[in-house]
Amino acid sequence: MRKLTTLATSVALLATVAVAKEIKVGAVMPMSGPLAAYGQVTYEGIEFAHKIQPTLKNGDTIKLILLDNKGDKVETATGTTRLISSDKVVAILGALTSTNTAQTIAIADKKKIPVIASVATNDKLTMKRTFANRVCFTDSFQGEVVANYALKDLGLKTAVVIVDQAQVYSLGLAKAFQKAFKKGGGKIVKKIKITSGDKDFKAVVSQIKRINPDFMFLPLYHPEASMIARQSKQIGLSKPMFSGDGVANQTFIDLGGKSVEGYMFTDFFDYSAPPTQKSKDFIAAYAKETGKNELNSFTALGADTYFLLVDAMNRCSDPSDSICINKEIKASKGFEGVSGVINMDKAGNATRSAVIKVITNGKAVYKTTVNP
Amino acid sequence: MDFLEFTQQLVNGFSLGSMYALIAIGYTMVYGVLRLINFAHGDIMMVGAFLGYFGMAVLGLPFVAAVLLAVVGSASLGMLTDKVAYKPLRDAPKISLLITAIGISFFLENIFNVLFGGTSRAFPVPEYMEYIINAGGIIFTVASLMVPIVTLMLLAMILWVLYKTKYGMAIRALAFDVNTVNLMGIDANRIIMIVFGMGSALAAVGGIFWAVSYPSVEPMMGVLIGLKAFAAAVVGGIGSVGGAVIGGFIIGFTEVVVVAFLPEYGGYKDAFAFVLLILVLLFKPTGILGINFDKSRF
Repeated sequence: MRKLTTLATSVALLATVAVAKEIKVGAVMPMSGPLAAYGQVTYEGIEFAHKIQPTLKNGDTIKLILLDNKGDKVETATGTTRLISSDKVVAILGALTSTNTAQTIAIADKKKIPVIASVATNDKLTMKRTFANRVCFTDSFQGEVVANYALKDLGLKTAVVIVDQAQVYSLGLAKAFQKAFKKGGGKIVKKIKITSGDKDFKAVVSQIKRINPDFMFLPLYHPEASMIARQSKQIGLSKPMFSGDGVANQTFIDLGGKSVEGYMFTDFFDYSAPPTQKSKDFIAAYAKETGKNELNSFTALGADTYFLLVDAMNRCSDPSDSICINKEIKASKGFEGVSGVINMDKAGNATRSAVIKVITNGKAVYKTTVNP
Repeated sequence: MDFLEFTQQLVNGFSLGSMYALIAIGYTMVYGVLRLINFAHGDIMMVGAFLGYFGMAVLGLPFVAAVLLAVVGSASLGMLTDKVAYKPLRDAPKISLLITAIGISFFLENIFNVLFGGTSRAFPVPEYMEYIINAGGIIFTVASLMVPIVTLMLLAMILWVLYKTKYGMAIRALAFDVNTVNLMGIDANRIIMIVFGMGSALAAVGGIFWAVSYPSVEPMMGVLIGLKAFAAAVVGGIGSVGGAVIGGFIIGFTEVVVVAFLPEYGGYKDAFAFVLLILVLLFKPTGILGINFDKSRF
């Protein structure tokens, strides 16, 4: 009799295991290395979103598998391959920068695994790829926002652009900005190329001081942008400076110190102006958990990649069917995310608003929202 | 480009070059006694910068005390790596030593990455270092004025040690022939350790100045600077202390000149520095001040 009960229990147990599946979702993020500042805050959002919504509608649980790509292209490629072939993930979130996300997408696209990028804004990323998606805006939109704001709201007519030739993000954003700025009647007086990892920009800023443009556009990441800001102030160059989302983190302000006062940049979201009910709820939950309500925009977008994925999975009859998930991600319209309302198109790009922030007294302060 | 900007760029190149020079001296000294290219040197520099950071930001020490802490800490670390990693390999082929050096370099980078994370930290620069001097339109900070002065002072000190002291004589003798030095009753291992200590102390000073000029410290900061300082040492003639300083200035000026005259190619300034290295190796393999490899290094 006892044997029979044991048997029955084990059968019952097996049955429950079979019903509530565990579905694996991969995340590729730079948790160490020079881009760690961005990777960590973004993953914080994915992790927190997972904590809020760990199961699907049908009771299946989602297991997150994180791989640290150290901000490196090769590490990204091997990490992505590992997630797909040995961990058997159904979808991949991340890779953060455009350069690395392009690697992830190239591999995942062949294996028909959908990728949702959080902040990879390069235009080319989703071109000719079936399984590439993103919740952020593209660089051509971001470049237009900066160009129009500088021309119309600030009345700045001439610009120097400093490009990081080692970053796809930087090249793409610079191009988009130049196009929009010229179209609006502005003039690019000089374009200077640098390489990420450089620290010494004295030769660059000395040159800009002589050229004397109305403002400087720096489509760079925080390590280089902060050093340029510092060295500009040192030689008495105090023209307005504008960047994209690449400087949207606290490390930028820490590294730049007093010299980044007045620095402007585009971002996806600001906690002080929550765009949706979901943002309000998320910020409240986040504040309860961490004791602070200053939700980083990268954290919000990280959370949105996860929420958008879960939303798409819930609409599939088999939530582990990667092809269906991909189709449903692209079909998301009016999706209410933490970072704002997201409309996905067939190419996998998101149409969404941008915000402009300015650094005031060591804090990034919300200035205005620009709708597409 | 007008004269003013030209002079400004010259000043920029001078302060950048002296930083490379400081680090290049360490490469050259170790090469002189051991024929070893110590690839961990750049990472010792990183450790020096980190120690300075901890001294000031965590322990709240004044700048000079933090520099002392960094110098003593890095010198000890340099001597320790010699004792642990290089000394057991004294009789091994040179290639084993080289690979060990690369191993030490990776070890230091990764241990700092694990312990402190890869995010850049803001270095607390003392205010007087950032004080701006305006000399008739040429603008520079106190730090960029101090770097060349300190470099030249340290160079003079090193030369004095090498040529006017008993230890210096032993170091120079060691560069000729290790076996004979041992026969003369000199403890070669102790002398090598002293050389590592001196080189690492200089690297720490270089690291601190680097962090003062470009106020961010992170575990990978030593990689590229180390490579360029190595290029500087080779250009100047590896094994020659004076050559290392000259090489440092040449690399520093090359970078500034590329950015100033060819802004479109500014992103390739590292490539220009390394192309220069290749050219020097093609036409004068021993470097500018380098002498015949079979003879003394100093």
